[in-house]
Amino acid sequence: MKNIHGESFDVRLEQENSTILFKGALRLCGTEDYAPILDMLKEALTSPAMPIVLDLRELDFLNSSGITMLSRFVMEARDRPGIDLQVLASEAVPWHARSLRNLQRLMPGLSIRLT
Amino acid sequence: MMIETIDNHGERAGDCEYLTLAFSPSSAPLRSRWRNNGLSADFLGDYVTTFLPADGAPPALGKRQNEVKHAITYIANELLENAMKYHLPDVEIPIRIHLELASDHIAVRVSNGASLVQARRYKAFVSQLQEGDVDDLLLRQQEESARSSESTMSGLGLLTMISDYEAQLDWRFDIHPTQPECMTVTTSAVLPLKVVPGASA
Repeated sequence: MKNIHGESFDVRLEQENSTILFKGALRLCGTEDYAPILDMLKEALTSPAMPIVLDLRELDFLNSSGITMLSRFVMEARDRPGIDLQVLASEAVPWHARSLRNLQRLMPGLSIRLT
Repeated sequence: MMIETIDNHGERAGDCEYLTLAFSPSSAPLRSRWRNNGLSADFLGDYVTTFLPADGAPPALGKRQNEVKHAITYIANELLENAMKYHLPDVEIPIRIHLELASDHIAVRVSNGASLVQARRYKAFVSQLQEGDVDDLLLRQQEESARSSESTMSGLGLLTMISDYEAQLDWRFDIHPTQPECMTVTTSAVLPLKVVPGASA
């Protein structure tokens, strides 16, 4: 298990079930600050125990630099053959229903489960 | 829905209530003040919920309040982040964020100082926004910013405000009265309350 955390957020990679869990509010300052998280996400793509799950249900806030980071990850997943990427989202968190569909436009095969 | 602003004398004080926060960016480096963007944005988002009719049992926020709160927080945070990133240092122009509550809309207005070159670049992006299809631009920007390794002006924050939050944006560019080599750039985002996304009419 790997973990990156800051004052208001926590991101955890569980390699054994290829799940990445996000919690809190992510408002880092640009590409450079998001690089360690993006690198950790990419690790999940290297030896996926299918499918790869992005669990965002407890991620209450994500700034646009964070959306860019997720877009990069989704495009990376799209460009590798045979990757099955699933996103878990919550109806109680307003940005999920609003912004996650943009990721689906980048990767039409992406499944988003909104509960 | 209606918001009425009552002043201390019980009379209606116009149709508007507002809050302004001002920051002097030279007083602390960008990195150490970055967290204040989030604090300010959260505060403004929370603040507006008082004026929205409750649709949930207190103290929990109803769905509509939660939607508006999040929209204001997102918009305020993005506008502040941009202002902090692009603000021209060493000029006497503070960064300001202004929240305005009226009966039919909520507006968030942020201004910062910019060099003429930066202002020109921003204007070019604005005309792209005004002429192009926002959803197409958004998709293109996502693809492009994913490819470039540096954090350039991607405009993704502005694009998501329009595309995901149905905000109406407009801009003002004013030459500084005593320093003609810089401008005050003001970006306004207006959320019409009747069509607040996710709200029931």
